Amino acid sequence: MAPDTGSALSIRDLTVEFDTPAGVVRAADGVSYDVAAGETLGVVGETGSGKSVTALAALGLLSAGNVRRVTGQALLGGTDLLALPPAELRAVLGRDVAMIFQDPGTALNPVQRVGDQIAEALRVHDRALTAPAARARTVELLDEVGVPNPAGRYDAYPHQFSGGMCQRAVIAMAMANRPRVLIADEPTTALDVSVQAQILDVLRRAARETGAATVLITHDLGVVAETADRLCVMYGGRVVESGTVYDVFARPRHPYTAALLASLPRLDVRADRLTPIPGRPPDLIEAVPGCPFAPRCPVGHDRARCAQERPEPVVTGAGLSACHYPDEAGPPPRAAGPGRDAAAAAAGAADGGAGVQGMTPSRHGEPEKSGPRPDGSRAPDPDGRSAAGSGAAAPRGAPPDGGVALDVRDARKLFPVRTGVFARTSGYVHAVDGVSMRIPAGRTLGLVGESGCGKSTLARMLLRLVQPSGGELTVAGHDLVRANRGELRRIRQRVQMVYQDPFASLNPRLSVGDNVAEPLRLAGGFSRPQRRTRVLDLFDRVGLRPEHTDRYPAEFSGGQRQRVAIARALALRPRLLLLDEPVSALDVSVQAQVLNLLADLQHESGMAYLFVSHDLSVVRQVADEVAVMYLGRIVEAGPAERIYGNPRHPYTRALLDSVPAPDPAGRGTRRRAPLGGDVPSPADPPSGCRFRTRCPFAEERCAAEEPVLRDVDGGLTACHFAETLRGAAARAAGPVRDEVHS
Amino acid sequence: MYAYVIRRLLQFALVLFLGSLAVWAFVFALPGDPATVLTGPDAAPAELAATRERLGLDDSVVQQYVTWLGNAVTGDLGDSYFSAETVRSTLLDTVPATGQLAAFAMALTLLIGIPVGTVVALRPRSWAGRAADAYLTAGLAIPAFWLGLLLIIVFAVQLGALPAASDYVPLFSDPAGAVRATILPALAVAVHASSVLARFLAASLHEVMGRDYIRTARAKGVPERYVVRRHALRNAALPTVTVVGIQLGGFLGGTVVIEAVFNYPGLGRLLYTSIGERDYAVVQGGVLFVVAAFLCLNLLVDVLYAYLDPRIRLA
Repeated sequence: MAPDTGSALSIRDLTVEFDTPAGVVRAADGVSYDVAAGETLGVVGETGSGKSVTALAALGLLSAGNVRRVTGQALLGGTDLLALPPAELRAVLGRDVAMIFQDPGTALNPVQRVGDQIAEALRVHDRALTAPAARARTVELLDEVGVPNPAGRYDAYPHQFSGGMCQRAVIAMAMANRPRVLIADEPTTALDVSVQAQILDVLRRAARETGAATVLITHDLGVVAETADRLCVMYGGRVVESGTVYDVFARPRHPYTAALLASLPRLDVRADRLTPIPGRPPDLIEAVPGCPFAPRCPVGHDRARCAQERPEPVVTGAGLSACHYPDEAGPPPRAAGPGRDAAAAAAGAADGGAGVQGMTPSRHGEPEKSGPRPDGSRAPDPDGRSAAGSGAAAPRGAPPDGGVALDVRDARKLFPVRTGVFARTSGYVHAVDGVSMRIPAGRTLGLVGESGCGKSTLARMLLRLVQPSGGELTVAGHDLVRANRGELRRIRQRVQMVYQDPFASLNPRLSVGDNVAEPLRLAGGFSRPQRRTRVLDLFDRVGLRPEHTDRYPAEFSGGQRQRVAIARALALRPRLLLLDEPVSALDVSVQAQVLNLLADLQHESGMAYLFVSHDLSVVRQVADEVAVMYLGRIVEAGPAERIYGNPRHPYTRALLDSVPAPDPAGRGTRRRAPLGGDVPSPADPPSGCRFRTRCPFAEERCAAEEPVLRDVDGGLTACHFAETLRGAAARAAGPVRDEVHS
Repeated sequence: MYAYVIRRLLQFALVLFLGSLAVWAFVFALPGDPATVLTGPDAAPAELAATRERLGLDDSVVQQYVTWLGNAVTGDLGDSYFSAETVRSTLLDTVPATGQLAAFAMALTLLIGIPVGTVVALRPRSWAGRAADAYLTAGLAIPAFWLGLLLIIVFAVQLGALPAASDYVPLFSDPAGAVRATILPALAVAVHASSVLARFLAASLHEVMGRDYIRTARAKGVPERYVVRRHALRNAALPTVTVVGIQLGGFLGGTVVIEAVFNYPGLGRLLYTSIGERDYAVVQGGVLFVVAAFLCLNLLVDVLYAYLDPRIRLA
């Protein structure tokens, strides 16, 4: 592969090593890729695959003190950036090649005005530029990236910008000097899905207008499928496959790529079972003579060549593959759990009534279940006013053994807003504003919404980690609101929570075994040997090795730690598990393992799950019923099929439209109507329908009258126009209301 | 911002009030009363009673405090028990001297502490970094009074270059003389203070240099010295400002030991001698002044903090 003169940026055989206490880590190992002007190259890989390190090293931006060596070349139009002296490199950075970073909240200097930070990018490369000229140009740039009122926003500070706006500012900064290469490192990972769609749009425009070559580094296969021209898949510090995005998605030539694609939960259909990649990513400290993927590879079959001989990227089909057997790499056979799929399918069919109260349509002819109705005699809500829980509360067939694990009626949480000299309460943030839901034993309710919609507050309220401001909360038959300290302790043993970040939620000073045993110790009544037995049993159930109980959390990977956290949550055999973004900190391949584990555990124990997530594909995979939250209220709820297949609330539809599909086929024709703007402040929600400020269908009525959750097509929707917004027809025809709905 | 400052001002007033209560109560709580101290152990009962009468010690506790506070607010801190002067004039004699010493000491602290902290944070492995680090350790370990004695031995006794006992020479009347008189005690104070400051600054700067916005600035092509000056130092200064405020308050409170070592006519020495003489009126007035000065500086730090950090200013 001779350096291609047509490339704007060519990475050649780039190797990066770090010194760590455990040994030398080779984070990037002979990485090569090219990107041409006007082209978008997606660099995909999991945590530790070397995708970001490669880019940072190429630009000389690795700031860690333990960099051992960086070798290879980073050719920018024929100039090797790695060979440039610092002063000359600085002249290139920001002018010819610019970078966009992952977390817009921290990428901007908090004590400098946003506009000044953009102007600085202009002025360091053009000393002749006057301050007023730089300001004028910056305002233009802010306007180009879609910051409203750019002249006024110039003087704002980063904390006055939302995450999406910060990322727009960072993009403006990157395109300021019309660079030849734009490198975007996980530019949308920290953002909500609706904002992600906006930012990807801005990025596309920026690349088109500047004609820059774009390197888009991401772990999200949906994002690359949506935006990249070519793809470069990295694993264990190496490039394992590259090619055009269509080829790679249609016919992966490396088993890792194939396995990664197979492990993704999809938005359109619910798989019986995800196909995870077994094992864990390679430890980059041990030098592997052969293929780094060999231990997890479904097609290697322990062939000696894979373990001994390093596969070099070779031309295979239309792209490159670093596999000895690229033709065998196709989609791996779906792993069939013994008897589990059928059982799961059966359980799925025997649909219970997890979900928002009153979502149980009283409509006849619904697939009805038999089974006791422990709570079926409950009278309708006396005042049918409450938005989320308006109707009668007849549960559709709870499973025979379970009863109701969670019953929430009209839950509210107000956080006071304090202002002024005496910090008087001047208003309230309605974090959760009249939410009702119910989860029968053995069922999963998926709770989705953008950040700030109140979904995590609601989950915490169910453990009374946050004191509810109002409403009735019944957990496994116990009144949570009026429970005294002793009762609360007992209730908390029946409800357990699994948190988002397994790195922060385990006590690092306790061994993982002690972490898991802690609930048992606190509950009392278990002798030391009993605890030990129980911990070993739990380790076995969550797929951890029993001999690892004495190790400390730091020795485990993210996925394993989440298994430990799950084991801890299961220790007291809870009736309800609150899962607050349990897989969003995990890599895709590991995420599938954990989701499968959760499905198995639920099947075995009949626990109810409240699964809180911003990831609509993950919720699609796990949830029986789904509730969509917006600004503290549930705007739509119902069986997963109904929500995903026939969404009737414009917000649900917009969210679903925003999710990038991990399939580049037909992306040109896909209708995308990303939501504009940001979520309004929950301290001052819009009148009437809270979504109306971002709704493409809003009319006067929406501002005047708040829509109540009502029965629409087998689910609940809080929209005045739910009947006229019909799923498939309306989606294909764009934002045209179907007025002839019968 | 305004609400923030007003809230701070109210807090300031409340704490000052509580502080005055404590200062006043401390004398009240002492065994015996000022009258016994003042008249001496052999005083006749009548003399004692007259003194009590004169000092208002027969009034109720509340009455005494209100009177004292009212006087203090108008600047009347009573009379010294022993000298013929009022406490107010005694303080007025010493406070400027201490103020000047504190200013010198703070200037030296900043002049030494900021470069040392920056070098330690940015170039820990260079020879300058190692030297600075050694200075930090030594500066924290060496007691100020011992350093003061050492400085006197070297510069005054051996070299004869500077005076051993420092007089107060006002800066505005004789700048050179003021520097000569103040430099040694200021340095003795500043070595320790600058080590503390540098250590805080280095830790803060080190952390800030790892932040994402520093990488953003570098990716823009900003030269490293501007990365440090424009982006890193201001953010790193935030926690350091608090330390500087506390230290300056400490300097004003009288660097008691240093003033004693150098026989410098400041507030510290005054308090030191007054405590020895049991001149509680002076001690009371002096401590009240120190409390007020300390609180003022704290207020100033808060306002400065808000000025430096838009997240507080615009909250």
